[in-house]
Amino acid sequence: MQTERKSFWDRLLTIDRRWLYLALFVNIVVFLLLPLRLPAVVSGPVRKFYNAMERLQPGDMVMVSSNWSASTIAENQPQLEAVLRHLMRKKVRFTIMSVEAQARDLSLRLAQRLAKEYGYEYGRDWAHFGFYTDLIVAIKGMTNDLHDTVKQDVKGTPTRELPVLQGIQSLKDYKMVIDVTPSGTVPDWISYRPKNLIVLYCPTSVMAAEAYTFLDSGQIEGMLTGAKGAQEYEQLLGVVGLGTRFINGIQFSHVLIILTILVGNLALLMKRLAQEA
Amino acid sequence: MLIDMGTTGGRVLMALIVLGFFVLAFGLIPLLQTLPPQGRRALIAIVTFLAGLFFATEFFLPLTEDDKNFLTPGVVPAQRVLQVIGSLALGLGTYGLIRLHLRNVVQKRGQWGYSVVLMLAFLTMATFSIWNTLAEKKLVAQPEFQKRGFTLLFDYTLVQLDASMFSIIAFYIYSAAFRAFRVRSIEASILMFTAIVVMLGIVPLGAYLSDHLLGLPTQVSPEAHPFSLESILYSLRLTEIASWLLNQLNAPVQRAIEFGVGIGGLAMAIRLWLSLERGIT
Repeated sequence: MQTERKSFWDRLLTIDRRWLYLALFVNIVVFLLLPLRLPAVVSGPVRKFYNAMERLQPGDMVMVSSNWSASTIAENQPQLEAVLRHLMRKKVRFTIMSVEAQARDLSLRLAQRLAKEYGYEYGRDWAHFGFYTDLIVAIKGMTNDLHDTVKQDVKGTPTRELPVLQGIQSLKDYKMVIDVTPSGTVPDWISYRPKNLIVLYCPTSVMAAEAYTFLDSGQIEGMLTGAKGAQEYEQLLGVVGLGTRFINGIQFSHVLIILTILVGNLALLMKRLAQEA
Repeated sequence: MLIDMGTTGGRVLMALIVLGFFVLAFGLIPLLQTLPPQGRRALIAIVTFLAGLFFATEFFLPLTEDDKNFLTPGVVPAQRVLQVIGSLALGLGTYGLIRLHLRNVVQKRGQWGYSVVLMLAFLTMATFSIWNTLAEKKLVAQPEFQKRGFTLLFDYTLVQLDASMFSIIAFYIYSAAFRAFRVRSIEASILMFTAIVVMLGIVPLGAYLSDHLLGLPTQVSPEAHPFSLESILYSLRLTEIASWLLNQLNAPVQRAIEFGVGIGGLAMAIRLWLSLERGIT
């Protein structure tokens, strides 16, 4: 039996997916290692985020809601790192809380590392409230009475004894909340927060599209979209962080995907033309 | 009633109260089991309705100057009950997991070796993690091997595995994009063109292509007419097109979807509140 010989375009259309995986892997590794730095154009939401942070005064109180696990570490860690750096530069007091079990340790360790760098003292300048099972419950409780809801920090110190919380009775005494998350937690903050609390949002790239409606309405004052948002923010801060290091891998993966899609369509077109001929 | 937790007597009293509640709760379960199905359904429906009524009324009632109404003081205790229920659910999940895999091992069901691995991993991680939490609170000592063990398990195992698992999605997306993004209709062409513009426009490379390869203006003077050549060329930058797509097309569509989802959620909440949803009772 004679088998029909496949054309080049046919073979391209039925290429083994493992070749595609290899191409993407090589592309990411090469461009992550390449010392190429293209300056970012700072987008509107990132500029607004930065301006809101710049308006904070030393001693103001900020809640960092860190709700990400290691699965989104590539996007949320650059964001959280850039945000904490800015808070520490501005000498702003902050507390961290998590409704994701892994985020408790991830955010605690990250903040501890940065605190050493900026001379921030735990308990005096910042504190970590640990893990909460339900965000709405936590927000409503802290809005009524923070000390009655949180009771003690991750180190077991009663919150009333923490110097960083002197003069703070509830979330109403905070200036801002920054939600770093891959989940849909920001509508909870928008709905249940005290109305004086400014909301800033650090979603993963796939979640960002849903948030533009909140940006339009002013319910979110600024947004960092994934590692790309972190890179723009790092550029504004003048630091080279994870976002800046990751962006080459991201943007050249985009290029590879676009090229592959175009090649796939070209192959389809050529196959059709060959069939018609 | 206020209990002074700083004294031994206060702590003993609190422990007795907690123990009493446990005895009461575990005593109630067999009692509830004796109820006929209709009685159980009615009880669950009443509790669900009252709980929903409390939170809804508290949310909708007007607030006084201190941002409270007469139901607000009850919110924190009610939420504590929710947290306890949430924590019990975690315990129930753990119990279910261990029970299932223990049975797999005891009965030597197919692939029971994986169950052994799961239980060993679970117990090791739980031991080191709980130990670490207690040590952070200075309730127990933290020897060096515990610190290293937790770092090895959390930072160098769990975090790496979790990140690797999620990153694999990129490879599937890449493969799927190659096979699925085909220009077969006008709609598919619009989708593909939009995706390409946004993918390029949101990264620095998009700006580089617009500025350096196409030579488009990087800014436009505020006095420029919207239809002047300068404004039009500026608007053709990939970054501007991507921003326009996200803000002017994506945002209204998302808003419409969220309205729909919100109304659907409200309808579902009412059905749950009134125990009309099948399988609730």
